[in-house]
Amino acid sequence: MTSMPEKTTHSIITLTVNGDEHAFILGEGAHQVSPSHTLAHTLRETLGLTGTKISCDRGACGCCTVLMDGKAVLSCMLLTVECAGKQITTIEGLGDPATGAIDRLQQSFIDHTAFQCGFCTPGIIMSAKALLNQNPSPTREEVQAALAGNFCRCISHYHVLDAVLDAAQKGDPE
Amino acid sequence: MKTFTHINADSVAEAVKLLAQYQGRAKLNAGGTDLLGVLKDRILPDYPEALINIKTIPELSGVAEDEKTITIGALTILADLSAAPLIEKYCPLLKEAVDTVAAPQIRNVATIGGNLCQDTRCWYYRYPDEIGGMIQCLRKGGKTCPAVVGENQYHAIMGAKKCFAVSPSDTAVALTALDATVTLAGGSGTRTLPVEELYTPLGNVLNPDELVTAIYIPKPAPAAKQNFIKFTLRKPIDFAIVSVASLTTLEQGICTAARIVLGAVAYTPVRAREAEKFLTGKELTEETASEAAELALAGAKPLAKNAYKLEIAKTLVKRALLGQ
Repeated sequence: MTSMPEKTTHSIITLTVNGDEHAFILGEGAHQVSPSHTLAHTLRETLGLTGTKISCDRGACGCCTVLMDGKAVLSCMLLTVECAGKQITTIEGLGDPATGAIDRLQQSFIDHTAFQCGFCTPGIIMSAKALLNQNPSPTREEVQAALAGNFCRCISHYHVLDAVLDAAQKGDPE
Repeated sequence: MKTFTHINADSVAEAVKLLAQYQGRAKLNAGGTDLLGVLKDRILPDYPEALINIKTIPELSGVAEDEKTITIGALTILADLSAAPLIEKYCPLLKEAVDTVAAPQIRNVATIGGNLCQDTRCWYYRYPDEIGGMIQCLRKGGKTCPAVVGENQYHAIMGAKKCFAVSPSDTAVALTALDATVTLAGGSGTRTLPVEELYTPLGNVLNPDELVTAIYIPKPAPAAKQNFIKFTLRKPIDFAIVSVASLTTLEQGICTAARIVLGAVAYTPVRAREAEKFLTGKELTEETASEAAELALAGAKPLAKNAYKLEIAKTLVKRALLGQ
């Protein structure tokens, strides 16, 4: 066994989730974040934000999609320790936490019945949110491209496209 | 996932030093979209003791140009590469290839260096440990390649002797067509080699203490027509069954230079040199393109279940050449 490097790194990391800053102690003990924990695991098991779903856990289904610094990413394929300092938004972070009002995009999904079992829906909504933040009036093709990484086994896709496009049209003229 | 020591590297020199200290028992992590799958499924006989995060190295991302060359930092994120005006202007075929990689969420974190160095998708090699145990194939030091007599519909159709896994990288195919080189940094200094020479039948040429730092693309002739086509079973989040990249320069209908590269047919992107030679000096027509496609696949030796890849490859070569 050769001697291992002495470099001690980041025993405490902080990340901002839905506007709240959280500090985590890195380690293998209770209530600590292991270097091998994925962001999806930390969100669900450590912070209790179970709106983010884990399905394939291999980066192939899109259920665990969250926003990191505004971009749609797969939280199952990111190590929490490497998200230090980042701004994370989960499905719980949409809408207005003070009034409990949901986001226009979420309402549009309800209006269009854009889900069946709903397991993939938080991921789809986060991918769509990232798109609308960047491109407030996308074409149908642009919505399709942005949601290409989100699978739905109930085949809700057609309703989803309508819901996203409708939410985009109802967007505030800014 | 089984745990590991996690270290943020602040410079290339530090990453190289750490790799040397761990003597093969550490893995580099950039985007992580390939590596985390490998670790979660425990597909390798040796689980790494440490993960070295290289995203913390500041100088390794971005696209730049000088008079003759486009330089891409190895940590450049695929989505940023696709959006880079220099890539759109000089290397549209690379942009096309990048846009076919996985899904938007993955392209938002995956890096070009990681795309080049990703491990193969062979389903025997990737077989998860938790379902009946890891498969000790030839690539992992075992004695045989289960694909030879097994389910080999997505495996190599040329150039394979022992392991029949194919290189899954789409960008490697595009970069080979663009005549790109890649620079590796390691304990004994840096070296630069063509992208197509990065791969070996059982993996890649990187020493245990080396990492990819940059990719260099000589600016192609402005008149060159560039095409990249990838055939997959489903459009997003899928690896190529076959891909083809082509670069042709035409002067008054006559082809004066051609580069044709096949992807997912072998352990490395394959230049179709005979087809390139055949096309040079000829008019590019339906007939010559078909002939070039035949020549491109002339050396192919398919396995029991993947002869269909030949027909797909020929069709893609023809379509790429004719810009269809």
